[in-house]
Parts: sequence; C-alpha cells; structure tokens
Amino acid sequence: MLATTIYEDGDHRWIMFGRDTDKSDGIIDTNQYLIQSGDEAILLDPGGIELFAPMLSAVLKFVPAEQITHLFASHQDPDIISSLGLWDQALPNAKLYSPWLWESFIRHFGMERIEFCAIPDEGLTLTLNIIQLQFVPAHYLHSSGNFHVYDPKAKILMSGDVGAAMEPVDAPLWVDDMSSHSQKMRGFHQRWMPSNEAKLDWVRRVRNLDIDMMAPQHGRLFKPPYIGEFLDWFEQLPVGVAIK
Amino acid sequence: MNVPIFVTAASIAAELHQAMLEAKGLALTAKNARALAVRAGSKTVGFKAITHFIDELASDIIRQSQYINGVSENLSQQAVMLWRASMAAEKFYWVSQQNNAFNESLTVPMEQCFAEKEELSGTLQRGLRELEQQLEEGEKHIRTANLIATSSKVEASSAEEFRGQLEVIANNITDTADKIRTHLSKARSLLGQR
Repeated sequence: MLATTIYEDGDHRWIMFGRDTDKSDGIIDTNQYLIQSGDEAILLDPGGIELFAPMLSAVLKFVPAEQITHLFASHQDPDIISSLGLWDQALPNAKLYSPWLWESFIRHFGMERIEFCAIPDEGLTLTLNIIQLQFVPAHYLHSSGNFHVYDPKAKILMSGDVGAAMEPVDAPLWVDDMSSHSQKMRGFHQRWMPSNEAKLDWVRRVRNLDIDMMAPQHGRLFKPPYIGEFLDWFEQLPVGVAIK
Repeated sequence: MNVPIFVTAASIAAELHQAMLEAKGLALTAKNARALAVRAGSKTVGFKAITHFIDELASDIIRQSQYINGVSENLSQQAVMLWRASMAAEKFYWVSQQNNAFNESLTVPMEQCFAEKEELSGTLQRGLRELEQQLEEGEKHIRTANLIATSSKVEASSAEEFRGQLEVIANNITDTADKIRTHLSKARSLLGQR
C-alpha cells in the first residue's frame, strides 16, 4: 500500500494511504488519511475489513498503535468503516467520531472497546494535541449523515466522496487536468449524490474555507487551481440523475 | 471445508426449536387425551393416569429444548466472537512479520487478543461438551415417550367404544416422539461433524 506524506510541519503531518496493488480486483480503491499532531493521531475513514492488515501495517510505519487515539468515519459505508471490529481489537482505547445518525448502524460492524463519539448534525471541533480539526457537515453527499474534515492549519479538506473518481490503482496522486479528470468524476457524482440543494449548500460553505488541498476518499487529490475548478464544475453539475 | 462452529451451533438451535414445537404439540395431545379420559369415565382409568405422564413429559421436553436452544445460541455467539478474535490474531501476526517501525506498540493489544482467543476457545469447548450431555439427556425423554406410547396402546385396546380415539392419541404420541428423535439425531449429528 502506498503511503505518502502530503503535509508536514514539525510534528503535524497528514499521511495518505491508498493505491493498494495487492487488494482484490472487485474492491474499490480507497484513500485513507492519518493526521498526526505530536503524540496523538486520528485515522480518517480507515477502510474496509479486507484492507485492515495492510492498513495497520502501513500505519505502524509512522506511528505506534497507542498514539492512534481517534478514528473518524465520515459515514456508514463498508469501504469506510467495516474494519471497525478489527480496529476495536487493535486500538481498545480509541474514540470513534462519526455522525450521530449512524451510531446504531455502525455498531453492527462490531465495537466493544472503542468509544463512539456522536457528531451532531451541525458538526464539531476536535482538539488533537495542539491542532483543531473541524468536522464539517456534508449531509446527503452522499450519505444522509455525512461529514468532511477540515484542518485550518494545514489548510486541507478531507472531502469524503466529494471529488472522488473511479480510476485504476496506478493512477497519479494529483489532479493535473480538470477537463479530462471531470470525465472520471461525472458519473460517480451524478449517481451517488442525491441532492442538488445539498450540493449547492456545501459548495457555498466550502468556498468560505481557506483550502490548499482537497483530499477525497477515492481517486486523485486536488491542489489550486484545480480546487476552484472542481467547485465550479460541481456547482453546475446536475446530480441525483437516477430519478427518470 | 469445515462448517464454522457458529453455523453448527445455530443449526442445532434451529433443530431444538423444532423439537420444542413438536413437544408443544405433545402437550396439546395430553390435554385432548385427558378430556377424552374424563368423558370415557371408568373405561379409561388406566389411560387417564398415563395422560399425566404425557403432560409431564411434554413439559420436560419443552423445558430442556428451550435450555439447549439457549446454550446453542450462546455458543453460536461465542463462536462468532472467537472467529473475530482469531481473525484479528491472524492479521496481527501478519503485521508483526512486516518491517514496521512501531510493531512493538502492537504487543499489548496482540497479547490481549491472543488471551481472549484462548479464553473463548476454552468456553466454547466447555459449552460444546454441555451441549453433548444435554442432547444425550434428550434421548432419555424419547425412550420415555416410546414407553408411554406403548402403554397408551395397551390401555386403548381395552377402552371399548373409545378404543379408536385413544389409538389415534397413542399413535400421535409415537409420531411426535419420532419427530423429536429425528431433530435430536440431526442436532447430535451436526455436533459430531465439528
């Protein structure tokens, strides 16, 4: 599994994990992120059960297990958090932050030791050692209870399924051309995102954030000028197209 | 491929649930037999005495089936927990063989996981032994049911005009006992396959 440090400032860093060439063919490729601040770290969307062992192994190259104090699940999907039952054995003292809406569903993945911390609909701010992370509402994008993570110091927005693209496992890490990349995102966004109103609300709020990097859960990451181009593209894209 | 224990235990619970339903039918048979015996009066004194045994037997089978059912369901849950702990242990072992800077930090959760696995494994083995004993106990009830069925037939033969109805009841007991025996045999055979 590829592990890339996408931001580093002293003991504050973001590491992206993904592009796992060993995963089974039928499994969608996912990006997992680790944010570390001093001796505390949070794993964002730690992934599916199939990914647990390579993911744990990759993470232990950067931080010891006891320093992974927090987990975050943007929503309830299996590619996001079906590995929970195994993380529950590996990180018995960790806290899982996830939408309140999904608590009783996510617990089906098995969670006896990890503490569930419900994120209210309006979001919340988490202090991780000396940095603050904002859980930004992204409801209906695509899940009915959904959050993204914004790090105002690193100026990174982990945007979950927004900005996701279905690409081969050896695709480049960064978006380098919006017109070709948008073709890879179109179908996914149009089908998976159900609400134009939710989309416009999200775009309006995200335009107010100071972002140097947008990091989705699938596919390539965005840097300026492609972040602005993505927001323009997404703003005008009709979604929820399965209703005929 | 071996059938996982949690599937076996759940299948045993299902068999015992069926046995319990049959036993409830037997309890109903006992009630019908008693009503008939009351109506028949002195002609069925012997049969009337037997109805108490049928009723008692049905209650015993229901109670025992419910107990075994509970044991099986518990076992199935414990087996799932063991499967999860085993899977985690297997993944932890794989990770520990990789060249990671912080593998040592996994030692405590790994040891806890292995200990949990051992404990669950012990609990599961004890539970399986108990299940085996309970199923053997169930066989005794079937032997009793057969004795009652035979006695019922004997008593039915001397019940004059009630003979036909009492024979139906006696056959009913035999049929039910057979069905319960089949469920118990399936349960034992499932247990033997593990």
